[in-house]
Amino acid sequence: MKEGSDNEGFIKRMFRKYYIEWRGEPPKDFNRREFAFMISRKGDIVRHKAFEEWGEVKEFLYKNSPLHTYYSSAYYAQPSAPDMDAKEWMGADLIFDIDVDHIYTPCKEQHDKWTCLDCGVTSNGIPPEACPKCSSKRIEAKTWFCEKCLEVAKEETIKLVEDFLIQDFGFSPQEISIVFSGRRGFHIHVESDVVRELDQRARREIVDYVRGNGLVVQDRKRKVLVPPLNAGGWPGRIAKGVYELLNSKSAKMFLNLKGGSKAEEAIKVIIKGLEEAQDYWPLEGIARRIWLKAVEEVIAHKRCEVDERVTTDIKRLIRLPGTLHGGTGLIAVKVSLRDLESFDPYVHAVAFVKGEVRVKILSMPRITFLNQTWGPCSDKVVEVPMGLAMYLICSENAIVISEGVQDA
Amino acid sequence: MIFSKIDAATYPFISLASRLVKELEESLGISAILSPGSEVLQRGIERIREAVYSRMTSVYKRDLDVEILSHPVALLLIKHTSNTRLISVYAEAEKNRVLASLLKEDHEKLVTLAIDGFNWHVKRRENCLLIRFDDYLKTSVNILDAHWKLVNRKLVSGYVELSRKDFSRLLAEAYRARILERANQAMDVQVPSALKTIVEELNREFQDFLPKVDVSVMHIDEYEPSALPPCISKLLEDAEQGKNLPHMARFTLATFLISIGKRPEELLDVFRKVPDFDESKTLYHLRHIAGEIGSRTKYTPPSCATLRTFNLCVADDDLCQRVRHPLTYYSKKLKSLKRGELERRIR
Repeated sequence: MKEGSDNEGFIKRMFRKYYIEWRGEPPKDFNRREFAFMISRKGDIVRHKAFEEWGEVKEFLYKNSPLHTYYSSAYYAQPSAPDMDAKEWMGADLIFDIDVDHIYTPCKEQHDKWTCLDCGVTSNGIPPEACPKCSSKRIEAKTWFCEKCLEVAKEETIKLVEDFLIQDFGFSPQEISIVFSGRRGFHIHVESDVVRELDQRARREIVDYVRGNGLVVQDRKRKVLVPPLNAGGWPGRIAKGVYELLNSKSAKMFLNLKGGSKAEEAIKVIIKGLEEAQDYWPLEGIARRIWLKAVEEVIAHKRCEVDERVTTDIKRLIRLPGTLHGGTGLIAVKVSLRDLESFDPYVHAVAFVKGEVRVKILSMPRITFLNQTWGPCSDKVVEVPMGLAMYLICSENAIVISEGVQDA
Repeated sequence: MIFSKIDAATYPFISLASRLVKELEESLGISAILSPGSEVLQRGIERIREAVYSRMTSVYKRDLDVEILSHPVALLLIKHTSNTRLISVYAEAEKNRVLASLLKEDHEKLVTLAIDGFNWHVKRRENCLLIRFDDYLKTSVNILDAHWKLVNRKLVSGYVELSRKDFSRLLAEAYRARILERANQAMDVQVPSALKTIVEELNREFQDFLPKVDVSVMHIDEYEPSALPPCISKLLEDAEQGKNLPHMARFTLATFLISIGKRPEELLDVFRKVPDFDESKTLYHLRHIAGEIGSRTKYTPPSCATLRTFNLCVADDDLCQRVRHPLTYYSKKLKSLKRGELERRIR
């Protein structure tokens, strides 16, 4: 038997065990949703499924132990219709995707590698769209989710939920769920009647808001008006951000300012103005230049890196919370805002905590899994706890040698 | 607040207006309303003429019943012309009329109109009005000014803060959208044959008076580098420098240049320096986009909104603020360049 298929058989058996006692919660109006399942690595997909009873979903998961399980963010009159138009769209949740794949983190140079499958070129960091040497698009990436990546994903998620969704958009925390994506980020679901019927254009406005796209910082005549500190939305966010930035000791260095005492003077003018102003006020000359520089910094810092394609797509399939990710063996687990800070996917999203298994590790960096540190190592046969084994096998970094205790 | 009959004649979107229309239709009879000599029918036709010739309709306060009924009648007529340009001119003119009236109303009246007419979630504050962001977005997406992008608004706890003036503008815009929606709905009533003649006459009468520009059918066949919108110039520059352009950037550049009359073969040089250039593959893609092969659909370039989403928008001049499509920018700029040239020559 080939090693690959052996691996898949092992994964499927373990997934089935997980789904025996599965207690996943249904999304709102689940019987109006389309479900889709990736059954095998070869790409057998079951789509356009709809379920009347939540028990049927559990049964399907147990019987088929799919590698990936998705449901539609959209609500349909006919969720099982095979044709998208015949489904009759009735609305959709608002979904945000924060994925470290799309966010630059310096640590990727250390733990991410890619290889061109055609010419064999290999390098570190974020994989290119096409190979720079032979232009092939067949690129294989080996990526990892380290603590620094996790921190970035958490920071973006907290910013999105607290600053934007709750503070600006006024959603209640009960309408928002944060779900670990199963790999390198978080999905944020907003189930609210307020957003349900919004079309793509309106959702694009929401994405642009969160990402700070299209912010106008000077009017058509290039005039700059400074908002008051207590203004709402982005104007207030900018005013407060600049105020904090300019009050910090390293402001001048940070903004790369020249012009000695004149710049100092201008910074004082802005700070004083911000403290006193109740309404918009104009800025000119060197203060205007400093303000614009500071605003740029503040926007870059306060904006939130969400994937625009996911939010604007009103017929998107998204991973079902509580199900397993076939590429990591981890659970796409719901995380409360309160627990987000201390969330560790290699502890809290691990599905298999019992037993050990003998695997051949192809390659892995240093990784802390279930509070125990492993690696780095390559081409080594070792016995490891089931959770880590599943993680390495699912991500194709290890091969099963023997299954150890069968009924752990 | 209780609305008056004058309100119903001025703001056809309020519930009182629809109730009065229904009552009047029942008491007068539809065939009488639509008969050739009917005052309502004449007033309906006049509304449309006002829209076409002065871009603004009016309110007659002499006979309010006639005025109230003339709204649905005018709508019925323009709907049956199936003339999209006439429909949009009429909607725009009605919007202008309503806006002029709204600007004279106080906060309380505006709030009542918004709730009654459009079910908006609104709140009154001392010197501004608040509207829930979903209600705001449904209408604001139709307004192109950058100032109307949600990101440039004060949004607190789900409500967008608007001045009285902007609130009125949004309300008028919502009314315009409603006219368009109604006019484009499937026909529900059979048209009496007398009306058909009127509709045909109207279509003939307005032929030369309606604007002709429509991006989807815009045809430009002239390459003038200095008229290119900033986003396209930037992409051209990047390609020239051999930068690796993402898919959307290539698609935008190719569709745009093809739309203004470049041939696929001419475009090969544009992409020659990008890192993964392959002459035959690129030519294949370009021909596909031009509709010469494959599905035969000629692709139009993405709109400004799409370009913004993909971070390809570099909007840095005044004209960008006034258009929502790079092709519109190009045609406007082209016209103004030519005008400038002509003026120079005359002098």
